[in-house]
Amino acid sequence: MFLAGVPIPGYTKDKPPGNISVILLEGGMDGLTAVPPIGDPNLIAMRKTITPKDFLKLNSFFGLHPSLPNFSRLMAKNNASVVHATSFPYIKRSHFEGQNLMEGGGLSPFAEKTGWLGRSLDLAQVPGKALSLDMPLILRGYKDNDNFYPASIKNSNALISNLINLISMAHSKDEAEIFSKLSKKSSQASLTPRDPVSLAKYAGKEMSKENGPIASVIRIGQFDTHANQVSDDGYDKNGNHAKRLEIVDDVIAGYREGLGDAWNRSIILTLTEFGRTVAVNGTRGTEHGYGSAGLLAGGTISKSRIIAEWPGLSKKEQFEGRDLMATIDYRSVCAACIERSLGLDHDRIASEVFFTPKLPRVYDYIFS
Amino acid sequence: MNEQFRVAQKVGLMFRSETEIPEDIKGWAVSQLHADSPALGISSKYGKVKSWPQSMQPDLIERARLWRLYRENKKKERERKDGQELVSAKQANRQNNLMREKDEMKFAHRNVYGKDQIRMRLMSFWANHFTIGNTFDNESLIGHVMEEAILAKLNSSFSEMLYKVTTHPGMLIYLDNIWSAGEESKHTINCRKKIDCQAGLNDNLGRELLELHTVSPSAGYTENDIRQTAKVLAGWGAYFEMPLAEMKEMAGTTNHWDVYKQRYAEPGNKTVLGKVIGVGKGGLRQLTNHLALHENTVMHLSTKLCQHFVSDNPQKIDIDYIANSWRRSNGDLDQIHSAVIDRAINSKDEKFQWPMNWLFQVLRLSDATFIKGWQDVHNYDNQLMEVKKIFEELGQSFWSTRQPDGYSSQKEEWLSGEMFERRLRFADAIYNAGRPKTSPEKIMDRIGANMTTRNLVESAGGFRRSRFIALMCSPELMGLKSV
Repeated sequence: MFLAGVPIPGYTKDKPPGNISVILLEGGMDGLTAVPPIGDPNLIAMRKTITPKDFLKLNSFFGLHPSLPNFSRLMAKNNASVVHATSFPYIKRSHFEGQNLMEGGGLSPFAEKTGWLGRSLDLAQVPGKALSLDMPLILRGYKDNDNFYPASIKNSNALISNLINLISMAHSKDEAEIFSKLSKKSSQASLTPRDPVSLAKYAGKEMSKENGPIASVIRIGQFDTHANQVSDDGYDKNGNHAKRLEIVDDVIAGYREGLGDAWNRSIILTLTEFGRTVAVNGTRGTEHGYGSAGLLAGGTISKSRIIAEWPGLSKKEQFEGRDLMATIDYRSVCAACIERSLGLDHDRIASEVFFTPKLPRVYDYIFS
Repeated sequence: MNEQFRVAQKVGLMFRSETEIPEDIKGWAVSQLHADSPALGISSKYGKVKSWPQSMQPDLIERARLWRLYRENKKKERERKDGQELVSAKQANRQNNLMREKDEMKFAHRNVYGKDQIRMRLMSFWANHFTIGNTFDNESLIGHVMEEAILAKLNSSFSEMLYKVTTHPGMLIYLDNIWSAGEESKHTINCRKKIDCQAGLNDNLGRELLELHTVSPSAGYTENDIRQTAKVLAGWGAYFEMPLAEMKEMAGTTNHWDVYKQRYAEPGNKTVLGKVIGVGKGGLRQLTNHLALHENTVMHLSTKLCQHFVSDNPQKIDIDYIANSWRRSNGDLDQIHSAVIDRAINSKDEKFQWPMNWLFQVLRLSDATFIKGWQDVHNYDNQLMEVKKIFEELGQSFWSTRQPDGYSSQKEEWLSGEMFERRLRFADAIYNAGRPKTSPEKIMDRIGANMTTRNLVESAGGFRRSRFIALMCSPELMGLKSV
């Protein structure tokens, strides 16, 4: 009993109320393909050749891409929502500046060395896990964060933790820390396959454990469909964008399966650097744009909604006469998901994570 | 590390044990810019080092012929014709007609066995700068770009290299320029008259030419500059699957590296960043010449060279030194590269080494045989990994599918548990399967290892395997700060 009042790391704090997973969609996901506003007459006028014909109907105005059947079922169960005409406040259409902002959450590109999720986890003092070989910027900023991407190297045997410890002691700072963490890990080769769906199942399972990570990040690339966004036969399911959306849908289902009962305290959100032009280009694709859509899923959502202040698609309603306008700052959506999962106060998230004290709070639109 | 090895780590790939170590390291490094550059390698894991056979290094015409053959066989496979649907026929089709595995092995061999280590490092730097991700359709072209548009142009000017890379079919396919057509081109105008015909500009290559390859966003270009660049590029394409005679009819040439389709070209002058660019095929050369010497290009690339070869946190004085040589010499690559070598030697900062360069350096220092011979490029080896797999596991390959900004040279981008675990595992695998001929003690003596490294290896105990792993994962060998 003499230990009473002495904090023991990981045990004295209240466990945060939920967990949060981010799916990074690199290349610029086309919100008008994923969630086509079929009720807007300008959509078909401008995008006849690339709009899915067999979309699923969400309501009288919005449809859902046929490659998203799992997401559609979650919508029907009131466990998923869409935020549309949204973006991080970045309008210059460079992948690399845009990706840096969506992960770093800074006020200008390359200004931050840490990421918005990493900073949030640092505030809450709980760990996250990246399912990739590298440590993505979005998770940097908290010392206990880690990554998982199983190796498959012939002729490499179990490594001796004592040796790794010695190596760690020869290194300085960050490098020493990483080797030191490695020395505590099991060097047993993992049999988890490395496709995003298997990694999502693994991440869900890890997060469902008593002392597991509270956050996870998975990356899906190649949304940058400048050409052949739909297939030659015009059947959208075979197009380049449709194939990527199918992976997103399976990753969400993978999380659902891995999380098990922990699904009820989970939120999963997608993140992309920008949307794509409203008009189709000369090669059956689209160019870099501005507004896009975000997909949200998880047991913490109790009412499915399509959250949008629809800006319209006519030429004069478009951003700079070419892109879907963004009317919702997606940072607000991220902030709401942090608030729900980590139990942090919105004002604190706004100022300490996104450096924007006046960031609007949209929590009630998503979670009430 | 002694000065010779310190420099060889920063700008080269370390001296192999059979090599004499030069006294005048700076003189040696500069002379290396013009070193003989044959593709050296081994035919089998027991073989001697010799030049790669010509038959395994086809030119563009032959690569195009092989690719066409591959596609024809794939068609037969779908139609179940000529037995092409049999597993053995499918395998032969891949092995005989696709170039990726041969090219990737040759790249690894050159880096491990070559006597042109500084040229290899520069080739990798520029190949990364001009990233060509694998779209499969361009897979047989990536090795060709690296050898012919980059390595073969290392002693020319930046503008020459820029033009050759930009017009290479590998790049034109990767960044979607091959079907881009000017809005007022004959092709687009004709297309508008038809139902369901789609034609027009694709600005992907134009955007990255400005953002990544030359001036960078610091130049403050507009969306209009990007469109204008795309208009200059419209018409540049590739007919990689077409028989030569047909291509001659379509593009008026039999040279795959010079395909300009008049019908897709945008008429009229264009203006990019205030510079008027003339109409027609010559417009692109005017544009790349202009961009190659643009002040923002000079600063963007001088900084990038510094970050790769000099220091993770380069000093302004180092960047300016390289930028000045760029301006003075009108972008002469020998002058620029000499300036880089000068600053790399001058700066005492550690320089973090990319996973692939670390692997090559470990293999050269330890005399391990970890890459299969070219005779066995398609044969299973129960000890050695496929070359493709080695690079995949390292998390770095020029033949991977990736984004056009390429790999970062900054240490922070490579810090993660899994990344470091790969170093440990590769050191282990190289020891177990590669049978290094030079012992950790001998290596430490040759390179003049520092006290931290020596103490680390000593504390690893008596087993040579542990000593080997400890040495190769020491901060000194990874290009990091020792405690």
